[in-house]
Amino acid sequence: MRPLDWIVLLGTLGFIVIYGIWKTRGSKDIEGYLKGDNSMKWWTIGLSIMATQASAITFLSTPGQAYEDGMRFVQFYFGLPIAMVIISITVIPIFYRLKVYTAYEFLENRFDLKTRSLAAVLFLIQRGLAAGITIYAPAIILSTMLGWSLTATIMVIGLVVIAYTMSGGTKAVSVTQKQQMAVMMGGMIIAGFMVVRYLPENVSFGEAVAVAGKMGKMNVVDFSWDWKTSWNDRYNFWSGITGGLFLSLSYFGTDQSQVARYLGGKSIAESRLGLLFNGLLKIPMQFIILFIGVMVFVFYQFNQPPVFFNEGTKSKVYATAHADELRSLESKYNDIFEQKQQAVHGLVDALKTEDEAAIAAAQEQVNAYTSAGKQVREEVKGVIQKAVPDAETKDTDYVFISFIMKYLPAGLVGLLLAVILSAAMSSTASELNALASTSVIDIYKRSVQQDGSPIHYVKASKLFTVGWGFIAILFATYASLLDNLIQAVNIIGSIFYGTILGIFLVAFYLKRIKGNAVFYGAILAEAVVLYCYFFTDIAFLWFNVIGCVAVVIFGFILQALIGKKEKELVA
Amino acid sequence: MKNYHPVDEEPPTEKPPFFKTWKGMYWLVLGNLAFMVVLFYVITKFYE
Repeated sequence: MRPLDWIVLLGTLGFIVIYGIWKTRGSKDIEGYLKGDNSMKWWTIGLSIMATQASAITFLSTPGQAYEDGMRFVQFYFGLPIAMVIISITVIPIFYRLKVYTAYEFLENRFDLKTRSLAAVLFLIQRGLAAGITIYAPAIILSTMLGWSLTATIMVIGLVVIAYTMSGGTKAVSVTQKQQMAVMMGGMIIAGFMVVRYLPENVSFGEAVAVAGKMGKMNVVDFSWDWKTSWNDRYNFWSGITGGLFLSLSYFGTDQSQVARYLGGKSIAESRLGLLFNGLLKIPMQFIILFIGVMVFVFYQFNQPPVFFNEGTKSKVYATAHADELRSLESKYNDIFEQKQQAVHGLVDALKTEDEAAIAAAQEQVNAYTSAGKQVREEVKGVIQKAVPDAETKDTDYVFISFIMKYLPAGLVGLLLAVILSAAMSSTASELNALASTSVIDIYKRSVQQDGSPIHYVKASKLFTVGWGFIAILFATYASLLDNLIQAVNIIGSIFYGTILGIFLVAFYLKRIKGNAVFYGAILAEAVVLYCYFFTDIAFLWFNVIGCVAVVIFGFILQALIGKKEKELVA
Repeated sequence: MKNYHPVDEEPPTEKPPFFKTWKGMYWLVLGNLAFMVVLFYVITKFYE
């Protein structure tokens, strides 16, 4: 990194953190600390919701995903606007009427204390683990690409987030997220302009998009459905609109890291507008990030891409007996690229003439070279696996950061790194804030120390923020000792998310089912999910649906049995 | 412990900007989704 990059990076992050601490100094009571004095306007809420959802991995992985798989990932978000409308109509008025601090507090009003505590504990387990990953995932990529120490990167991200989240609570999280979101979107749009600017002079923007289309990257929407195969296809219109709806309902309606964002609103109207703002802008935002990834793909049709984007892993292979094998494959890949480049220029010329036959012929030639290149990349991954058995062979997360480091000018590299670190900090801050508020409000204040002073609970919230922060740092530091860590955390999340969503669905929509029925129903549902995990081959994403449906079914059955017994007792 | 309130009781809220009722606002979000799906479909077909 050059000095100008350091100035931009430290200046941007330093300004955001200091501004956040200064702007929110002196929160004296729990209302101010955990709900930001209910003073947030809709644009702060909306940006805060978007910043919480956009973690660093969003900005690192999404362009890489588009590079590999095209635009179709955007369909994953089609259910989100519908979820925003449903939550605005049903959930927000209830939370406001009951003046809750956390989503789980509502469950005591609707059911009883044990159901509230069960949901809170399930949330703390899954979000506590996820907070570690939110720090670890970008830290491993940044440390590899920049040559920084992994532990130092984790400590810097973690300690800075703890400092401002502890200092100003919910308001500090939302205020800093507003600035972070501006940096993120501004930085990404500038990066997009730069990629287009770096295309060859004889290739216009329209031709670049046409080349991407001819190479199968402009596959934004897919309405097709096959009853046998489409269930396995993660990204099509139908899975996006249904699966995305369920996922968004549980994430925005029951996950405290998001609920806290809109509970800090000045009024119901401000909170609703914040959520609807997210419903309007989330899909265009994802579209832009994916499109930048597609433009990076087009850029690499005219400029030599590395055979493997993770330079750190490549260096490790060069230090083994497999180095010559890798060198030979690299040279083969470069030769294919030389030939492919001529074919791509041929495709651009054909597109200029609008001659369909010439376009089809050029397209066929380009696709043949692309397949040959892909084949070599697979062989490279095989060599990496042989040389460094525990190395990650998926390199899509490194595509965008590799482009930034190699091609962007001084200053912009610092800005883009500020984008990635801002995203890491914004989502971690929301998580720590939510973990602290759930620990204090749902466990400590409710079941341990009920008669403390407001100052006492603010102090307790600060201590819990620091405590959860250090647990997250510790987990992130030792995360590399576990295999398939991200998948492991996703599995843990899916094991609990379905049950939590089921409890909330019953609470909102099935008034006949009461506390005991839903509590024991949730425990049975969790047992079913655990059975599926240990004794079946069902894909873990389905645990969300199974857990949710099981809570509803067991709730109905148990309520019928309990109701019958009560009638007998009365008689 | 707080009292339980029936969930179908709609509390009074401010009007949304630009619309007379919240329904208009919700239709704006859903309409925007529909518009984007159609736009993306056109883009997909155009560049296929």
